[in-house]
Amino acid sequence: MAERIGVYVCKCGPNIGDKVDVDAIVDDVKGIEGVATAKSHNLLCSADGLEFLKSEIEGEKLTRVVVAACTPKMYEQKLMRACEEAGLNPFLMQMTNIREQCAWVTPDKALATRKARSLVMAAINRAPLLEPIERKEIEVQADVLVVGGGVAGLEACLSLAQKGRKVYLVEKSPCIGGLAARFEEVYPTMECAPCMIAPELQEVLQKENIEVFTHSEVEETLGSFGNFSVKIRRKARYVSEEACIGCGACFEPCPVEVSNEYDEGLSKRKAIYVPFAGALPNVPVIDKDNCKRFKGEECRACEQACPFGAISFDDKDEVIERKVGAIILATGATLLDPKALPQYGYGKLDNVVTALQLERLNASNGPTGGKVLLKNGKEPKSIAFVFCVGRKEKEYCSGICCMYSIKLAHIMREKLPDAKLYCFYSDICVPKKEHQQWYDRVVDQGVEFIRSNGTVAVTADKGKLAVKHGTDSSGKTVSVDMVVLAPAVEPSSDIEKLAGILDTSRDDHGFFCEEHALMKPFATALEGVFAVGSCQGPKDIGDAVAQAGAAAGRVLSRLVPGEKLALEPMVAVVDEDLCSGCKTCILLCPYSAITRDKEKGTSVVDEALCRGCGTCVAACPSGAITAKQFTREQILAEIKGVAK
Amino acid sequence: MADDGAARQLDKEILSPKPGIQSPAEGGGDFQPRIVGFLCNWCSYAGADLAGVTRLKMPPSMVAIRVMCSSRVDPLFVLKAFLAGADGVLVAGCHPGDCHYQTGNYYTRRRFALTLKVLEELGLEANRVRLSWVSASEGGRFAEVVTEFTETIRKAGPNPAKTEVFL
Repeated sequence: MAERIGVYVCKCGPNIGDKVDVDAIVDDVKGIEGVATAKSHNLLCSADGLEFLKSEIEGEKLTRVVVAACTPKMYEQKLMRACEEAGLNPFLMQMTNIREQCAWVTPDKALATRKARSLVMAAINRAPLLEPIERKEIEVQADVLVVGGGVAGLEACLSLAQKGRKVYLVEKSPCIGGLAARFEEVYPTMECAPCMIAPELQEVLQKENIEVFTHSEVEETLGSFGNFSVKIRRKARYVSEEACIGCGACFEPCPVEVSNEYDEGLSKRKAIYVPFAGALPNVPVIDKDNCKRFKGEECRACEQACPFGAISFDDKDEVIERKVGAIILATGATLLDPKALPQYGYGKLDNVVTALQLERLNASNGPTGGKVLLKNGKEPKSIAFVFCVGRKEKEYCSGICCMYSIKLAHIMREKLPDAKLYCFYSDICVPKKEHQQWYDRVVDQGVEFIRSNGTVAVTADKGKLAVKHGTDSSGKTVSVDMVVLAPAVEPSSDIEKLAGILDTSRDDHGFFCEEHALMKPFATALEGVFAVGSCQGPKDIGDAVAQAGAAAGRVLSRLVPGEKLALEPMVAVVDEDLCSGCKTCILLCPYSAITRDKEKGTSVVDEALCRGCGTCVAACPSGAITAKQFTREQILAEIKGVAK
Repeated sequence: MADDGAARQLDKEILSPKPGIQSPAEGGGDFQPRIVGFLCNWCSYAGADLAGVTRLKMPPSMVAIRVMCSSRVDPLFVLKAFLAGADGVLVAGCHPGDCHYQTGNYYTRRRFALTLKVLEELGLEANRVRLSWVSASEGGRFAEVVTEFTETIRKAGPNPAKTEVFL
């Protein structure tokens, strides 16, 4: 059947009407094959105009519509709806822009008319090749996987759970709360961090619709936005979470002592342990690598001590499968190991510690019960804080180190009123509304700030530490008892594995790469996979929580139980008869939307992930991929029309 | 380059245009370049719109074809535009690093380098094609690109493919 094309040229009042000879164009196109009718209208986007368009489609029995008007960015959607209401598939309308890109930039009416005619010709040429596109919707899971139980993960869990979503929280360590649970006080409120997050922890653990998997890892994810299938490896804890009441009777008899990583190596723990006093859930875990029994020795000390029979050496890893619609990554960050920078003497010199180690020394649930002590058990009489450790090497400012160092200096000033306190800095980064006053305050408290511009070197000096700073000729030395390093924030060690499992990209620094630094800082390029908190970039608690809330909001608005998810209509489609299976497209797709059908040996586009950019279409050497609404034939027809 | 029956059919039609439809270039005595511009939807098309919104003036030579991403521009499109009689072809997209689709414009850049080589082999001057990065806020830059490119094409003269088949 021959197409019946209706061509409608909008005058947009005087905007097009005065600049382009609309009637001449209408007359000119009337005779073109396929053009059933051509008319002008004073304002197509008005209520009148839309009614006119609808009556034309119905009255003229149009199969294609060409609208020459303003930019499609203004009213294309409105016009498409009008087509739909008149019974025409909205993708059978071709719009062309004769206002912004023609009438408004071309002062000469004759030239503007010629250009407008070219644009209309292109659209008329393209119109018969348009194909109807059905908007697809898919059934979705509204449940969500959250990976990482720090402040960001907790916020995401609670925001989602409060709206009734089922949430699965996977945390690799035996407890939730992340780094914040290990700080005594946090800036800028200087409140007790464990107290601050305790209600959140309790709520997450107790809420019916949050299932918490501690000591667990994500092992596999399949599927895409709306329909992920995830495998969670729940590692054997050897202590039953149901039977254990957290009395701690098992710790004492354990004959093993190893360095406690949760106290940054400043204390010892047993092979059966909780990371620190007050860690939640309050259920110990047996460290298989260090437990005598798992090394073949006959030891049942903990089992015999447990009054509730909660210890089970036969416990096995369990792989649990869950269906979710979205994944929120909140795996946090860690600090650069300063051993990599030998000038600071970390790992070689006593009393050179990281800020995290000082946090633990300062914590009342830490190795010294909150007393800041040197290795010899005495209180330090002088402390040097060294900022920007590894900033030059990492080539980014972590943004939180100045402020947490200032916080620690403030706490030290109160704890050790007579101690000399120095801060060696390169630039002071205190950008938020409450932060600068803390800098001013510690300066007032007598903390000495010395601009060292990354020249600090620490050496041993007769039982003390010599902090040399400045260039060789003008170098000065300050003698202190303790040096506290503020190393660069870097992503936690498991991020690489997780990125591999999810096939989501990381930036140059190793953090999860956001979809857009400003507009979508919480989303990854993979639809339905979000990265929040410090796994996306160094962040303080407030920023991490805000980002988690933003991601949760997105999930809540897009995945609604009982509602289907509308897919992008203009996607790429692979013709499997033409596909040679070269995989070129798979490598190019920024959204991991193309996979290989192993049986057929061809590429398949996941319509839930494709965003219709057309990169793969232009790259396919076999011409096997079609971009809906931007097919080769359509564009070639447009080229031909333009050149007319 | 992939091709098929429909495209070949178009070829025939392009090389022997229907009579009766007057092209802008044939209208007057002075050479009015005809430029086909492939503009990405997110940056350059929006930049071109902005040029209009701010009422900048530019020669009427460039007629836009909107694509979602500059990476949709198959080098074949560039060749087809010349075969259809264009005197110049502009490809414009988001600035490197700003692609709406993360990395599309990097592929555009590589393809463009390849397209240039092919055009050179075919004997068409390299200055008849131009790749430009124009953001959605660069209405002024868009107008400049079109003005400059039009001047370049005006100097280069009509596309020789109109009088001699170079393919």
